[in-house]
Amino acid sequence: MKKIISILVLAVLFTACKKEQKKEEKKQEEVNVYTHRHYKADQELFAQFEKETGIKVNVVNAKADELMQKMTVEGEQSPADVLITVDAGRLVRAKNKGLLQGVKSEFLDKTIPSHLKDVDNNWFALTKRARVIVYNPEKVTPEELTTYEALIDDKWKKKILIRSSGNIYNQSLLASLIANLGEEKATEWAKGMVANMARSPKGNDRDQVKAVVAGEGDVAVVNTYYIGKLLNSKNPEEVKAGEGVKIFFPNQEGRGTHINVSGAGIAKYAPNKENAIKFVEFLASKKAQEVFAKANYEYPVNEEVAPSELLKSWGGFKEDTLSLTKLGENNKKAVLVFDNAEWK
Amino acid sequence: MKNLFLHIKRDTTKWSIALLTIVLFITIPVFTIFINLFYGPGETWSHLVNKLLPNYVSNSFILIVGTSFLTLLFGISSAWIVSRYKIPLRKTLEWLLILPLAIPSYITAYAYAGIFDYGGVVEKLFNLKIDMMNHFGLIFVLSISLYPYVYVASRAFFLNQSSNIIEASKLLGASEKKTFFKLILPLARPAFIGGLILVLMEVLNDYGAAKYYGINTFTTGIFRAWFSLEEPDTAIYLSAILVLIIFVLITLEKQQRKRIGYFNATKNHKRVQRESVTLSIRIIFFVTVFIPVLLGFLLPLFQLLYWAYLTFTEVFTSEFLSISLQSLLIALSSAFVTVLFALSLLFFAKWNRLSIINMLTKFSVLGYAIPGAVIAVGVLIPTLAIDKWVVTIFREYFNFKIGFILNGTILALVYAYTVRYLAVAYNPIEASTLKLGKSLSEASKLLRKGNIETFFKIEFPLLKSAILSAFILVFVDVMKELPLTLILKPYHINTLAVKAYEYASDELIAEAALPSLFIIFTGVIPVLFLNRLIAKEN
Repeated sequence: MKKIISILVLAVLFTACKKEQKKEEKKQEEVNVYTHRHYKADQELFAQFEKETGIKVNVVNAKADELMQKMTVEGEQSPADVLITVDAGRLVRAKNKGLLQGVKSEFLDKTIPSHLKDVDNNWFALTKRARVIVYNPEKVTPEELTTYEALIDDKWKKKILIRSSGNIYNQSLLASLIANLGEEKATEWAKGMVANMARSPKGNDRDQVKAVVAGEGDVAVVNTYYIGKLLNSKNPEEVKAGEGVKIFFPNQEGRGTHINVSGAGIAKYAPNKENAIKFVEFLASKKAQEVFAKANYEYPVNEEVAPSELLKSWGGFKEDTLSLTKLGENNKKAVLVFDNAEWK
Repeated sequence: MKNLFLHIKRDTTKWSIALLTIVLFITIPVFTIFINLFYGPGETWSHLVNKLLPNYVSNSFILIVGTSFLTLLFGISSAWIVSRYKIPLRKTLEWLLILPLAIPSYITAYAYAGIFDYGGVVEKLFNLKIDMMNHFGLIFVLSISLYPYVYVASRAFFLNQSSNIIEASKLLGASEKKTFFKLILPLARPAFIGGLILVLMEVLNDYGAAKYYGINTFTTGIFRAWFSLEEPDTAIYLSAILVLIIFVLITLEKQQRKRIGYFNATKNHKRVQRESVTLSIRIIFFVTVFIPVLLGFLLPLFQLLYWAYLTFTEVFTSEFLSISLQSLLIALSSAFVTVLFALSLLFFAKWNRLSIINMLTKFSVLGYAIPGAVIAVGVLIPTLAIDKWVVTIFREYFNFKIGFILNGTILALVYAYTVRYLAVAYNPIEASTLKLGKSLSEASKLLRKGNIETFFKIEFPLLKSAILSAFILVFVDVMKELPLTLILKPYHINTLAVKAYEYASDELIAEAALPSLFIIFTGVIPVLFLNRLIAKEN
């Protein structure tokens, strides 16, 4: 038995050493990316980055929360260089947990508007999505719609479709209301929304759109991104659902439509910090932003790049320039408000 | 006190030590989580208890009652019919009945929403829209995808059941119905309760299906506390309570079972001969058996095939093939290791005379009750401690830089799977071992054969089909596993379940169909193999 154990231990150590030796021989430049995004467009961009710079991109795909948990546990030994999430709130959370570090990059400074990045340059937004109201044009005229706040009017009783409060996009929307209007007004809003829901929250954003088309309600609150996905779906029924609704950008007279972003932060203990900066700069560059805009129905953050034709066809809109940091700061409050309003 | 020590000293053998080592090894992650019970929950605890838990707990309770009823109904009835009666296509149905297990339940949930929802087949054909996304829909989906646990366990029992008692019962004038309800069903209890416990653990663990259908369960609470309220302490505290509840349930069941005492007195038993029945009954039986196959496998399968057809060119790439291969290898090796551990636990416990350690064994099958994400953290914390320690030692003493030897490697992943799925392997083998009784091994010992020789010559051959069932169940489970894999998988490795999840989480449900189909496909082959084996034995 002893013999077996000692052989096993030796074998494990041997393979571990061997692995390390291999690494040393190669001395390959690399960047380790922990990402919540898993789109084909991203993979193509990573490959392009590899080709242009010779820096190999290693990807770990998982939910942002799990990636952050992983980074926390790994601590100083974490191999992560870049953390990419699809929500600003999570980036703020990662910063507050001490998982990110500030970096200097002139390019990022001038390319990305100030409300779309961290004050200490811990993270930078890469793409934007607007959370809009979609409506059934047979039942609703755009004149009837104004703001998110107006949705709690009795007029919409049993007519609103929106997903559950566990969803981060809803949490961020409510966080923006808390930041803009205060907690009291936000609570009132959440309660009013629950009272006006056409059905108990379920399904994802696409399901809300389908339910509008199926006549279960008149309006739904969803991300623009998913309308794009529906319209370009391989499934003819989904295309029909996407075509069955019209998009309305709320709060145009006031603060603007709520937006959320996906973005990248530089890991605190990044072993390849320089490569990480290069990588994020590349993703914010005109070339990469064009790919994002085209492939994924997201709005580019680089102002030199125009959105895709489809997004243009929905018209331009005024966006809420509330600092995204506020979304993160108010996220937990938003969850508590949701629970108090009994928003499932 | 002195007596106790003498007792321990007297009864400690090499088996006790081996058993203790394995139990400790397997329970490290569980204990890492348990320790948190003493730290207490975080500050949002009262908010959770007041606002959310009553609703979460009642939802979980409804799900448990509903799925217990339906899975037992589907599982036992179909198992009894295929092992006792001659019905058309019996051999095919026998393995078809297991296949729903190959579809991840959240995929079945998506498929059913697709079938019944807006633009689905049912709406098109019958102009009928049924809302699947509620309690009933969820109970239905979970039952239809999990009943095979009960079916597999019950069928293994029925097939090995000696026909003597049935004949005796009939000779004494009991009707077929009475024989089943008064005799067979009570006797089969260890088997189907074992299956049912697996079902319930899966139900409590389910996150994907419940979330999509908008039903908040206890597990939703764990995720909400962890990720939305940012309190891992509270989340782990909740998981620990969940584990405690399940542990109590298992113990209660065991206690009750012990009181009854199951053993098989007849040694040279004849196998049950399948009976012929009248045509009308044959049709009823056929339909009864076919319904779970249709609902649990064929219907979702067709929906997935349709989706896969729509998205095939986009999803099917060379990368996809390599991911399939990786998944397969990981699942095979994990299943092998898990079964090995299950066998060691069972038999070391049998050979060990120190009852305290045997009681500890129960802790090692708890992993199945804990959400995969929590297990992953339970594995991550201790393995990282070891990794960091090893790295430091090599740096300090040998001036040599090495990488992590556990984390980010297959080792940690397979270890986590073993911890999580040990119960899946342990329960069916245990049920069959109980049926085996003690007399055979005792006879072998009287003939001065050692434990190990007895095992390989007598117990292993007799348990072969149970062991293979266990292997296949674990294999299929690992193929489907998601949250744990996401956290612990090495950089360059991907699995089909992860791929399917990536698509589904981006609301690309149709694209998720092809990887799901591959998971199903890889699950079907071993099931076919197992079936042939059981058939040959008979």
